Amino acid sequence: MSEILQIESILNKDYESVNLVLFQEWIESFDKLSKLAVGIIVGPSDDVSLIKDELDFIKLIVLDFNNFDDGRGYSQAYLLSKRWQFTGEIIGINAHLDQLQFMIRSGVTSYVLLDSYVGVNEEDYANGFSICYQEAANNSGLQKKY
Amino acid sequence: MYQYSPEDSNFLVERVNQFEKQLKRHLAGDLDDAKFRSLRLRNGLYMELHAHMLRVAIPYGTLSSTQLRSLADVADKYDRGFGHFTTRQNIQFNWIELPEIANLLRDLSDEGLHAIQTSGKATRNITADPLSGLTDGEIEDARPYCELIRRWFNLHPEFSWLPGKFKIAINGAKLDETALRIHDLGLRLVRNSEDQLGFSVFVGGGLGAAAMIAAETASFVKVEDILSYLESTMRVYNLKGRRDHQKKLRIKFLVRELGADEFSRLVDEDWQQTKNDPNLKLNLVELEQLKKDFALPIKSINLGGFEEKVDFNYSIWKKNNVRSHKINGFSIVNISLTKLGAAPGDATSEQMRILADLAEKYSASELRTTKRQTIVFPYVRKDQVYDLWQSLEKYGLASPHQGTLAQIVACPGRDYCDLAKAVSIPIATRVQERFNDMKTLLDIGDLNINISGCENSCAHHHIADIGLLGMQKNGEEYYQITLAGETLHETVIGKKLGPSVSGENIIDAVEIIVNVYLKNRIDQERFTDVFKRIGIAPFKEKVYE
Repeated sequence: MSEILQIESILNKDYESVNLVLFQEWIESFDKLSKLAVGIIVGPSDDVSLIKDELDFIKLIVLDFNNFDDGRGYSQAYLLSKRWQFTGEIIGINAHLDQLQFMIRSGVTSYVLLDSYVGVNEEDYANGFSICYQEAANNSGLQKKY
Repeated sequence: MYQYSPEDSNFLVERVNQFEKQLKRHLAGDLDDAKFRSLRLRNGLYMELHAHMLRVAIPYGTLSSTQLRSLADVADKYDRGFGHFTTRQNIQFNWIELPEIANLLRDLSDEGLHAIQTSGKATRNITADPLSGLTDGEIEDARPYCELIRRWFNLHPEFSWLPGKFKIAINGAKLDETALRIHDLGLRLVRNSEDQLGFSVFVGGGLGAAAMIAAETASFVKVEDILSYLESTMRVYNLKGRRDHQKKLRIKFLVRELGADEFSRLVDEDWQQTKNDPNLKLNLVELEQLKKDFALPIKSINLGGFEEKVDFNYSIWKKNNVRSHKINGFSIVNISLTKLGAAPGDATSEQMRILADLAEKYSASELRTTKRQTIVFPYVRKDQVYDLWQSLEKYGLASPHQGTLAQIVACPGRDYCDLAKAVSIPIATRVQERFNDMKTLLDIGDLNINISGCENSCAHHHIADIGLLGMQKNGEEYYQITLAGETLHETVIGKKLGPSVSGENIIDAVEIIVNVYLKNRIDQERFTDVFKRIGIAPFKEKVYE
């Protein structure tokens, strides 16, 4: 449960009133859980299409990018943000510096870098390019070339 | 000829700057090996047996003379004076020093060349028929489509961290020079009954230990809808592809496990959500501009009084290396880089500069690279072919091997690659030494031999007439033989002949196979046709008797 504690400690500051639950818990106990100010913690193997009809109840969604080579979080972010128009926060946790540009453009609205990146200039990695070659969930600040 | 815009060139520089920062962090110990590996591969950089290897893209296999000179300069400045043209329209440099990589990439970017996504688990360099735009009966030149699709998946935010590598080939010609059905995704340009242009889509092909032929997932996708269809295909793969087993990462395993019908259904279900999104439509205005940029730089000419030179050596070379062109008065010239004892596809910086100069003089400053690791001059006037041949002859580049057994495709093998189980180049050399008589080679005709040093199958041995796969048995090098693979007319994975053969005996085995073919051949029958008619038994019987 260390992962959840970490998220809570980070998020408590801004999201004190959010009730964070694991994706599986939400799916299994949907009827019993409070629908007020819920945040859902999604893992890479969770099927986000299972919550697409319940997004109105959800205040924020936490996606886990810990595994550097596991790209499922980018598709999860795209589907939630672009296809199902989730309007709450999509928070990427355990984020890697070198993948910020991909996370942000896929629809992640805020992120928490892994501790090992403390002290580096995030801007260099979040905004390293001036143009983009494809439509994405978020192309702000980029000249479109497509 | 198409050239990158200033924005494209700037993007290449931005990418180099980013990679340079990552490299500095790695060298300072702030970026660990595993993550740096993932990042460097997406910039084409491998750690090989002896040094770093850089793979530079030659998108759709098209190069200008200026670009080839730039590659020659890189070979001299950063390597040991040579480069290696690969089977997927890339060029590799084998002796790169890590601290010099950013400067090297900057030099390349000056000429619109780069190494972006030439490796790693992302969309790789998109390959096209090296004869795109040159042959009769073609639906369309595939290169403008390659370029638009290449751009779209360039640092794509959603699909840059796929389960495995993702190779795309696009063919617009009658014959399939791209081998598209052994790719993760192959696109064939087609016209439907209403004469609309679109693509047939094939997904899940690949070689390696489990060779598979891609299944058709859509028989017709309109040109403007292709990006959304490709995105849906990659989304299904990204979310459902195997990530738990190193040997099952490629999309072919997902297609096999789900079944092609179910895979296609999932793609279609996703696609219905996006196919009408105007932001995902292929930009048809840009496409028209690209068609102009890629238009052939030649016009039909009448060479009424032209008489071909009579010269025995020239005739042999011409028979094997020169093809007819759809534009009147022109020929397509294929140049073999094969040299005894050297890796197929290797070219020295001097050869690159000579080829660049000759292309400038005889081929509108354009060259193409092929999956048989040869160089094509696409626009040679028929009345200048002889002059070109004389120049090639002078520089030792007039090998008449194209289309003969001596034009062997081989990976670097155990001499250079730390994945390889056995040597490849010395086997190629021994085959060439065994069949060193041009009369015999001409008699055998168009028969291809491909040699891979391990199951990664970099030399595409599964799709050769005779394929050799290197392996280890009790500490010794052995070769498994496959026969009658092909992709040009139809896609067929070669059949295993039987137990693997030792390195010592493998050349004898090849000779026996060739002799069985010659003995059973009727007229000019191709190897694959003979194989279909007589089956594997006669080959097996002779090789293992």
